[in-house]
Amino acid sequence: MLITVPKGSLMLNALAHFERAKPQLGGDVEARAQALQQAELLGLPTRRVEAWHYTDLPRLLNRSASSSDALTVNDFSALKPHYLVFENGHLSADLAQLSAEFVSPDADLSADAMTLYNQALAENGLTLKLDKSPEAIVIVETKGSEAQHLMHRVRLSAGVKATVVDDHAALGYSNVIWQVELAADAELTLVHMQQSGQYVGHCTVDLATNAQFKQITLLTGGDVARHATDVNLQQSGAKADLHSAILGRAVSHNDVTYTINHQAADTHSHTTSHQALADSARGVFQGKVIVQRDAQRVDAQMQARAMMLSSEAEINAKPELEIYADDVVCAHGTAIGEIDADALFFLRARGIDEASARQLLISGFVEQLLTHCDDSALADVLRHHIEQKISALTLTKLEAEHAV
Amino acid sequence: MSALLEISNLQAAIGDKTILKGLDLTIQAGEVHAIMGPNGSGKSTLSYVLSGKDGYDITGGSMHFDGQDLADLQAEERAIAGLFLAFQYPLEIPGVTNMTFLKTALNAVRRGRGEDDMDAASFLRLAREKSRALGMDDDMLKRQLNVGFSGGEKKRNEILQMAMLEPKLAILDETDSGLDIDALKIVAEGVNAQRSPERGMLVITHYQRLLDFIKPDVVHVMANGRIVRSGGPELALELEKSGYADYRAEGVAHA
Repeated sequence: MLITVPKGSLMLNALAHFERAKPQLGGDVEARAQALQQAELLGLPTRRVEAWHYTDLPRLLNRSASSSDALTVNDFSALKPHYLVFENGHLSADLAQLSAEFVSPDADLSADAMTLYNQALAENGLTLKLDKSPEAIVIVETKGSEAQHLMHRVRLSAGVKATVVDDHAALGYSNVIWQVELAADAELTLVHMQQSGQYVGHCTVDLATNAQFKQITLLTGGDVARHATDVNLQQSGAKADLHSAILGRAVSHNDVTYTINHQAADTHSHTTSHQALADSARGVFQGKVIVQRDAQRVDAQMQARAMMLSSEAEINAKPELEIYADDVVCAHGTAIGEIDADALFFLRARGIDEASARQLLISGFVEQLLTHCDDSALADVLRHHIEQKISALTLTKLEAEHAV
Repeated sequence: MSALLEISNLQAAIGDKTILKGLDLTIQAGEVHAIMGPNGSGKSTLSYVLSGKDGYDITGGSMHFDGQDLADLQAEERAIAGLFLAFQYPLEIPGVTNMTFLKTALNAVRRGRGEDDMDAASFLRLAREKSRALGMDDDMLKRQLNVGFSGGEKKRNEILQMAMLEPKLAILDETDSGLDIDALKIVAEGVNAQRSPERGMLVITHYQRLLDFIKPDVVHVMANGRIVRSGGPELALELEKSGYADYRAEGVAHA
């Protein structure tokens, strides 16, 4: 299935969008109008805002989307999941009736512009408040081609374990907020898959004692992918695992930005990123680890790796440590390279042709993400998705070479 | 009948540096040849040039394998034709399981040889059978290719690949390096199990020790990019006593 992405940005006229959406918007419409006014006053974040230094959002949203990629249909049926579908910002299917009624966000005029736009315009989202562990994983599928604003909330009570997958295949602009609260001993795995569109996402996670948050982010397509996550490890024993992989193609802009705030002692975080960048794709990795003064015995590890597949590709990596406690183990590392020539020869010496050998090395690199996925059926879906996207990648490359 | 491998006056260089300086070597099917020589004599270069690694310029001479001019073939085409190099330092490939790698390689070679892909069940049976014969745990097939493998496990894994791909000529490049005596015995047994009247082997080693376990038909001494002496298994024993000093001197004399 080949789909042409609509030209240009769909969010340029937020006011018009607001007027159009007004009849459906719930909550305090006046407060929404104020949020919108404030957002318009602030404007989209520019490169002068440090967190957006490598992602020039106004320029990215204004350029014509150029990719027309085949969408991969992710088949989760083996997992027998609960399914929710948001299409053009509306809930079009909630087969399990799992999500509670959407409550409009409170306007907080001190928020950043993207959050304010979301407060003004979000008319829907997943509202998951669980007091016991669900039997199946929850899939939130997003599709459609219109601009959409979604506000998802996940709140797990003490000891509850759940897995939520954000399967993003919408073609237009999406402003998505995730608010996650994990009570003591709760465990959430949150998977983000993006293969299309212009996605500007911000995820905030608060963890109580011994709570565990695992985030698996897989970006394989789309024009703009901005996935920012703020994790607050508020009480001792809390743990965050943040893992991302990017297969960047065409002119896609892919940004994973983490702020990990160790606010309590004996909290842990582990961050990895694997970015494979082809064509003129750009990758951004920002990871900031903050260890507060009383947060002793913190263990924070961060690794970012990039595999450059084209001389036109670009990677910006900025790991940061900000440590105020003295008894901690924190480390970060960044490695940027190309396909290893010796590894390529090794595979070719076993009869594997050069194109297939490259493909195998790229998939091996990207699929290191899957070592962090405990659910093997879910890992299979992700693996299949990656393989599909990598075979498309090689095809484009070969076509380009033939054209020369 | 033509030889399995026929190398004549082979010269090869990396950039300005000539490493192989007129090497002659002929191996018939069913024969096991050993090449011994001091460090820097060009032994590993020979294995890479034969198997088609990029970065070497063939500046003279010829190499024919099973009637084909190797210079015309890409590395993968040489593997399909039946040439196999067991690496001195097998590469670690994160994210790719041993099983996926073996299956991709086997089917690539089968396709290249005009055969159909092997179905998943038959492949699994074959891989298990061959790996058990080498005393390998089934778990090793599921692990990422060579990642976290010990030296012995990596070398055993090379022999497993050889058993799966069934080459006509196997080149073993310093297969003994990094192995203790027990691991060496297991690897040597695996190699010996694959000796056959149709298959040739070229065992490259610095030490005589490996040749106690893999008995060669012919032993060659390589120095300064050439074969300078050939003989029977007794030549290896002689080298063990006298060392390579004489050949180093000879190498200098030729330089």
